[in-house]
Amino acid sequence: MASTRRRKGDSRMIRYIVLGSWALFCLAPVLWFLSIGFRPRTEIITPQPIYFPTFSLDAWHMIWSDWPMAAYLRNSVLAILGSVVIDLVLAIPAAYSLARFRYRGREDIGFYILSTRMMAPAIVAIPIFFLFRNMGLLDTIWALMLIYAAINLSVVTWIIRSYMLDIPKELEDAARTDGASDLRILWEIIIPACLPGIITAGVIAAIFAINEFLFTLLIASTKNAYTMSVALANFTGGSDGVIYNAIALVAFLAFVPVFVVVVAIQKHLSRGLTMGAVKG
Amino acid sequence: MSNSLLKPKATAAALGTPRPPRRRSKTMRTLFPYLLVAPAVTYLLMITLYPGAYAIYQSFFLVRFQSWTPIGFENYTDLFSDREFWAALWNTLVMGGIALALECVIALALAFFAYRDPFIRGWRIIFLVPMLFMPSAVAFIWKLAFNDARVVSDLLIGIGLLEDNISFLSSIWLARMTLIIADVWQWTPFLFIIFVAALQGQDEEVEEAARLDGASWFAIFWNISLPMMRPVIAVAVILRGIDITTMFANVFIMTQGTPGGATETISYFIYRIGFKTFNFGYASAASVVMLVLTIIIAQVVVKRAFHSGRT
Repeated sequence: MASTRRRKGDSRMIRYIVLGSWALFCLAPVLWFLSIGFRPRTEIITPQPIYFPTFSLDAWHMIWSDWPMAAYLRNSVLAILGSVVIDLVLAIPAAYSLARFRYRGREDIGFYILSTRMMAPAIVAIPIFFLFRNMGLLDTIWALMLIYAAINLSVVTWIIRSYMLDIPKELEDAARTDGASDLRILWEIIIPACLPGIITAGVIAAIFAINEFLFTLLIASTKNAYTMSVALANFTGGSDGVIYNAIALVAFLAFVPVFVVVVAIQKHLSRGLTMGAVKG
Repeated sequence: MSNSLLKPKATAAALGTPRPPRRRSKTMRTLFPYLLVAPAVTYLLMITLYPGAYAIYQSFFLVRFQSWTPIGFENYTDLFSDREFWAALWNTLVMGGIALALECVIALALAFFAYRDPFIRGWRIIFLVPMLFMPSAVAFIWKLAFNDARVVSDLLIGIGLLEDNISFLSSIWLARMTLIIADVWQWTPFLFIIFVAALQGQDEEVEEAARLDGASWFAIFWNISLPMMRPVIAVAVILRGIDITTMFANVFIMTQGTPGGATETISYFIYRIGFKTFNFGYASAASVVMLVLTIIIAQVVVKRAFHSGRT
């Protein structure tokens, strides 16, 4: 009895050592990077790293006065919200069709939508660049909106489809016997019933859009379209070198809202990240 | 579109069929699901088929700014004898493969330790943190830690593993390792979250029965949980594998392919050829090769995994 208790104690200790070390590995760089954001530039790149710097709001003032931070924020928010709206408008009917109807080619259409997720951005980068150039959309948030929507459409469709599959058929059948049309059933029964799925899909699409780098890099060339993600790469002020404290602050500025939203939808995260393949 | 709303309820009830007849014509009814899915498919075709066709067309030209000279298959023959192209392909596979293997093993181990832990919600939130930073921000964190502020060297000296500062960009494997560590740091949580969900979703009674039979915790995990998780692992690894092979931001910010192209991924190769040397025809040929590879992988691997893994 005593020995089993000791073994249990040992295994618990191993467990907390493993989990604790990984937690340290996760958080230590984050906390250190946060300290970078609140220190003067002179204490960032030094012969000996400084772990306990003097507190300074230099970078905070700099990102708002020397850099068009407000424009970067606005571009990010508008492009992301716009792309999520486009995605939901296109994906909800598509998901409804894939989840609730039987027809020839359904599997292939579903797989085609899924397969666009497999495409590396770099593969289509050059043609997309020329496409937007010919349309006169380079360096506009419209181009960002369109491309973010395209990147995420497959994910959004498949997540919503997965949640729609869970809705009991009886709900619809009752309405159908009452003579409701398919579109009305979609609007009044299906959409309210899979709202968590729609929200999850929207959140995940928004996060992917915040993160997007390659297309934004090619499309944006001024503050007309720079987003937070690509603006970071611009805080490298020529002869000044990389301005790390400003970068750190912008990184946390984008991190905080994402963190809050993700904690709120935590329960649905695994399902969302696997496009509905794993139910959390 | 449909006027069935106007139909009196009595008709449907009187017929007593679960699906009452519509006034909508039969063709309309057959077409309806296609019409629902058509806008999304059209949108995706514009963003995949059009660029695909454009890349194929452009790959047969020597593009110099506005002038396009047709050169047949020359871009392709050049590409297949281009050591930089093969190196980029190899780097992508090596770095992606190592990072993916590490992420998978670490995430499984963490999930194994965490999924029945009373503080699982707390662990999950802590472990999620790196994943919620923008990849470009993560690249800067590690660029600063490894190269510019030399914090990693300093810490390694502090614990006696190193004698002197080392330059992580000086050797092929050190440079690759910095990219791998950045990827593992950010994306292990992706797999962890999914694995924990799968482990929590399994039947607790099976586990309990095995435990009463005297099976150890690890034996239960290895013999019962792991086989049950196979489809989930497949889906998660495929999704991560796709993203890892498109690695771009980290290369762009941290190494730019140095030293000597040892960290250049295929995405960075296409970007560099296209947007730094402006050899668009050549870059398009590389895109087309990657496109073909992607389609083959999607058809063979992904289709199967998503059919077995989904509901």
